[in-house]
Amino acid sequence: MSSTTTESLSSREPAPSPAGPASRNAKRPHPGPTFFRVLHSEIIKFRSLLSTLILLASTAVVMVGFGALSAWGTGQFTNAATRDPQAAARMASQGGDLAISAPTSGIAFAQLILGSLGVLLMSSEFTTGMARSTFAAVPKRIPAFAAKLVVVMVTSFVVTAVSTWLAGLVAVPILDNYGLKLDMGSSQSVKLLLVNSIYVAAVAAIGMALGTLLRNSAGGIMSLVGIFFVAPLAFQLIPGDFFKEARKYLPGNTVEPLTAVQHVPDTLEAWQAGMVLGAWVVVPVLLAAVLLKRRDV
Amino acid sequence: MIEANGLTKVYGAKTAVAGVSFTVKAGQVTGFLGPNGAGKSTTMRMIMGLDRPTSGSVTVNGLPYVRHQAPLRQVGALLDAKAVHTSRSAYNHLLAMAATHGIPKARVHEVIEMTGLEAVARKKAGGFSLGMGQRLGIAAALLGDPQTLILDEPVNGLDPEGVVWVRNLVRYLAGQGRTVFLSSHLMSEMAQTADHLIVIGRGRVIADAPIKDIITGKGQSRVRVRTDQPDRLHQLLTQRGASIDEPERELLEVTGLEPKTIAAAALENQVMVYELTPLVASLEEAYMELTKDDVEYHSLPAAEVSK
Repeated sequence: MSSTTTESLSSREPAPSPAGPASRNAKRPHPGPTFFRVLHSEIIKFRSLLSTLILLASTAVVMVGFGALSAWGTGQFTNAATRDPQAAARMASQGGDLAISAPTSGIAFAQLILGSLGVLLMSSEFTTGMARSTFAAVPKRIPAFAAKLVVVMVTSFVVTAVSTWLAGLVAVPILDNYGLKLDMGSSQSVKLLLVNSIYVAAVAAIGMALGTLLRNSAGGIMSLVGIFFVAPLAFQLIPGDFFKEARKYLPGNTVEPLTAVQHVPDTLEAWQAGMVLGAWVVVPVLLAAVLLKRRDV
Repeated sequence: MIEANGLTKVYGAKTAVAGVSFTVKAGQVTGFLGPNGAGKSTTMRMIMGLDRPTSGSVTVNGLPYVRHQAPLRQVGALLDAKAVHTSRSAYNHLLAMAATHGIPKARVHEVIEMTGLEAVARKKAGGFSLGMGQRLGIAAALLGDPQTLILDEPVNGLDPEGVVWVRNLVRYLAGQGRTVFLSSHLMSEMAQTADHLIVIGRGRVIADAPIKDIITGKGQSRVRVRTDQPDRLHQLLTQRGASIDEPERELLEVTGLEPKTIAAAALENQVMVYELTPLVASLEEAYMELTKDDVEYHSLPAAEVSK
């Protein structure tokens, strides 16, 4: 039964019927990998690995933990400062600034965990041999890559946003103890939550591109650490204006200008930072897609 | 139907597949026989669009694999029993594969049952024995109920019961009019399973004939040629598609060309030939010879190092 179906379809493929593909699809469902089917497949693959679920849960735990620690630290700091009247004046404004960033204080770790998840989701395809099954089922390859990218970015965004919100829920009563107010509904809080979540989704995309290019878990994660942790430090330590300037263009330094209330000296303008972060995602992802299409699996 | 035309794959300095042409017909089991490293797996990966040929082309049912609208419904392949994420269960692996083509869950259960994986379907594929891994690979190949099946060393690691099961399965599938292409490095396995045999060695097709012709020695045409210009003749015959061994200086053992063709090539190019003897050998013999050469070939670099 199905053999006759496949035969008739394959014989029509080289010369589509004059009615065109649209009307043909309307009559009979597409037999092969449409984007939504490939996306569905990638979701099944994503949720059927215990390791990914553990990484997602640990992101939430780390974000909430750092949110609570940061709220407590800010409270202690403000408390100590109020005994010194001069510092108290300064703290009055700054204390609020510190409090508002408490929910996102664990973001450096969230980006490391979810960025590594991005690397692993693609590199493990190659290290386990799964890639041969994946790309035999989707030989055009790009739909599978795009579907995985959607899964990685959406998950990273949602997990970061939810974790930040949970961290805020935990931080509010702690700050309240020290007489500091944090309004999770304020526009600045919402902005911090959204920008940081987009940022982590971007880091996960960069991770996935690295995993695709290097096909190696350790190499991909080390490159990620290099870009987000080592380079900012190294650029700071190397003397010279070039590195001072270049440091602004590292992806990790785009969040501050994007979330600042006023422009901070020695950082990019918000629109520039947005472009830079975008370029950090688009360039590696396109390179990874082109090479994935061309290289042998 | 699978058609390969001048299929070549070069990895750096090594030529894995050197201009291979063959046709695998529907309704029969075609064996792909050759020693390890002969180029069988590379050829199969090129059929599946996973490796890009350096030159030449290969089509399945008239189209390159990549251009099929529903590839898994056209071709099912077991390329590697380990083409599975080790931490994912067999069931979820098959479910994810099926999802790409909108194949229903019922079919996933069906192939699990067909391959006898019910007891381990929910376990991580990384813990599977080689035999279980092979069954999972075969289950994945059958998912799309494909017209063409490509199985790379399917009996590798199977227990005797599993070997018989694979043999019956491929015979049954071919009996339904499907194309079955299966590789092995074991001549004895092929003799019991295949209708037609393509023998490959060092990336070249050495024989391509019905199995009964090969067993009776008819498919095999080897010719011993002595000449004072072995290099020149080697080149001329290679151009005509022959595969050549040089057991000693001025002696060529030519496979794949008739004595008359060899004589004509020598005459046209004025190469003196002082012996031209057709050799009759069973495939088993020829195959053992080939495997032996392959081992010698591997040990050559070591000998060079010690020079």
